[in-house]
Amino acid sequence: MNNNEWQRVSRWALVYFIVHFAIRFFKGGLLNLLPVLVVFVTQVEQKWFWAQIATSVAVVGLFVYAFAYFINFKYRISSEQEILLNKGVFKKERLTLKFARVQNVNIAEPFYFQPLNLVNCIFDAAGSNAQEVVIPGVKLNHAEQVREQVMAFKAQLQQESSDEQVIPDEAVSSSQTLSISNAEIAKFGLISNMAILALAALAPFINAIFEFLETAFIDRLEAVFNEQAVFIGSAATMAIMVAVLLMILVAVLLSVVMALVRFFNFQLYLQDEKFKRIAGLFERQQLSVSLEKIQSVHIKQNVIARLLKRYTVVCPQVSSGGAGVASAHKNKQTLVMPVLTASQVRQVCSWLFPWFIDLKELNFIKPERALLYKNTVLYALLPTCVAVVFLHSMFDLLVVLWGLLLLPALVSMVYLSYQKTGIALYHHENRYFAVFKTGMLGSQYRVFEVYKAQSATTTSTYLMRRSELKSLYIQLASGSVTMPYLKCNQANQFVDFVLHEIEATQRSWF
Amino acid sequence: MFSNQQIETLPQHQRIQFQSLADKAIWHVQINWLIFYLPLMAVIIAVRYFNTNIASSIAPHWLLVLPVIVLLSLLYNVYSVRAKGIAVREHDIAFKRGLIWQHVTLLPIARIQHTEIHRGPIERKLGLATLRLYSAGGMSADLHISGLTDKYCNDIRQFIQNYGCDERVKSDESIDE
Repeated sequence: MNNNEWQRVSRWALVYFIVHFAIRFFKGGLLNLLPVLVVFVTQVEQKWFWAQIATSVAVVGLFVYAFAYFINFKYRISSEQEILLNKGVFKKERLTLKFARVQNVNIAEPFYFQPLNLVNCIFDAAGSNAQEVVIPGVKLNHAEQVREQVMAFKAQLQQESSDEQVIPDEAVSSSQTLSISNAEIAKFGLISNMAILALAALAPFINAIFEFLETAFIDRLEAVFNEQAVFIGSAATMAIMVAVLLMILVAVLLSVVMALVRFFNFQLYLQDEKFKRIAGLFERQQLSVSLEKIQSVHIKQNVIARLLKRYTVVCPQVSSGGAGVASAHKNKQTLVMPVLTASQVRQVCSWLFPWFIDLKELNFIKPERALLYKNTVLYALLPTCVAVVFLHSMFDLLVVLWGLLLLPALVSMVYLSYQKTGIALYHHENRYFAVFKTGMLGSQYRVFEVYKAQSATTTSTYLMRRSELKSLYIQLASGSVTMPYLKCNQANQFVDFVLHEIEATQRSWF
Repeated sequence: MFSNQQIETLPQHQRIQFQSLADKAIWHVQINWLIFYLPLMAVIIAVRYFNTNIASSIAPHWLLVLPVIVLLSLLYNVYSVRAKGIAVREHDIAFKRGLIWQHVTLLPIARIQHTEIHRGPIERKLGLATLRLYSAGGMSADLHISGLTDKYCNDIRQFIQNYGCDERVKSDESIDE
């Protein structure tokens, strides 16, 4: 496999470069060209003619740049266990990635490579997109050989650095599989917030969409409703309601499509202490994650998932900054199991945690009742008072009384949220696991081995100190967890225990 | 040989003796605060006097609120700096801060990914520095401690850098035995 000759990628890789740079242009470049677009729309005459010229120049430029990039793109797997890459057009880059720094080698099969049996070989260096090296358009068996070589080298490194001899376990090395049908994947479209993401993607064009809807759709609907004398009330209101309903339906449909594109034919294997996941409609993405690199397991069930009796399990690795769990979930290296039944959750989690039982059976420590009182005042009484005062200034007494109905709804939500907050510790064969529970209508569990925590913080206000209460905040390498309003001694003990586990445990945490 | 005996009593972080920030730390905070707010107040006063519409809607005695806010803030800064404290233990660094919301953060040295020392012009003049300690996965620095002397910051950084080496030496010695 080691080769001291520079190698070129297949000529079909040119397709990858064209697609890659086109996507990069739309993602990043188009936003930078926004001022030029504004000038173009407001100042330039003969827009159609100049738009055609500009598009032709952009397309030709894209092809020429991709071709030049392809010509300059060379790679070498050196005998010194490193991947060398020469690339770039205007700025030539020489990239060296040592096998020891490679976190994962993933194989992606874009739809345009499928008939040719070619794949993209993706080396991830630190769980961050910026550290990613892609060798496009290589033969599948060659990519698999490279992956084996890198992983064998890493396994050898780990064995050398480990104090304890690793005894291969035949039972573990035998593969375990989990497949999710596409009908189930479609349910993820309903459960997830991908609809919101789809709408967010349309945000820049929202004005144009509304204008289009108004002229092409709402006005016509209004005319239809006006003709139908049976409708009571404003025809315009009815038309807007129908339009909004249709938009929601379209968003949900988009969400289902996006879920299918991402997780089509989802298959998960557990082999040699590693999760291997293959999924995707246009691009069959292979993701390989070592069990030890998983920082925490996030078991989620929102309201819709609760109705469908399904769960989502997320296994993030080290996230490269960003807003905690959210950033970890967007990370390409995060393993997401989109729709699982309760028995499948138990199956997958028992691969990760042999002790795993139904989390509802754990003995959770609940926050003190002071949290319930504080949240009732802050999130139920105060908003109700504001709503009543606001309604009183605008409407008559009857409407104000309707405003008071807000109070029981908010109090119920606060109470549900309080009931679903908790923390539990589980001890299994000299290893300690923490489970943090949150939720309101749905529920979320974060499970992690205690020694993988990064830091611990306690917080208390004046009133909390008087009641001997503290809130707990644990920073993980894949986000953070909080537990509000614990008794002072419980919070202190937990922090001391976390620190002891971190400082006394010799095993690698990533 | 690594041992893992059950521990009956854990080391308690609440017994940590925190060390106050440098004496000049309060000057750094106050100067920084005044540099931002004095020009802002000057602009508000100028707008009040030169814009007739605003002048008619804000009575002159309301402008007295501004120096009161400044004085109260300066007083708050004094107590806020006094409430801060740092402690370097054998295996972790503890930092406490906050008057109303009191936070105590403990960062194990084994989890520190990288260390930064910042020195702005005022800090350089006062012989101070800001220490930032990063672990994995956080949005920003896990610990952001300003108002330490430059020497103390460098000592902490050196201690953190030596930590891994010392641990390795200990483990090598135990292997030799």
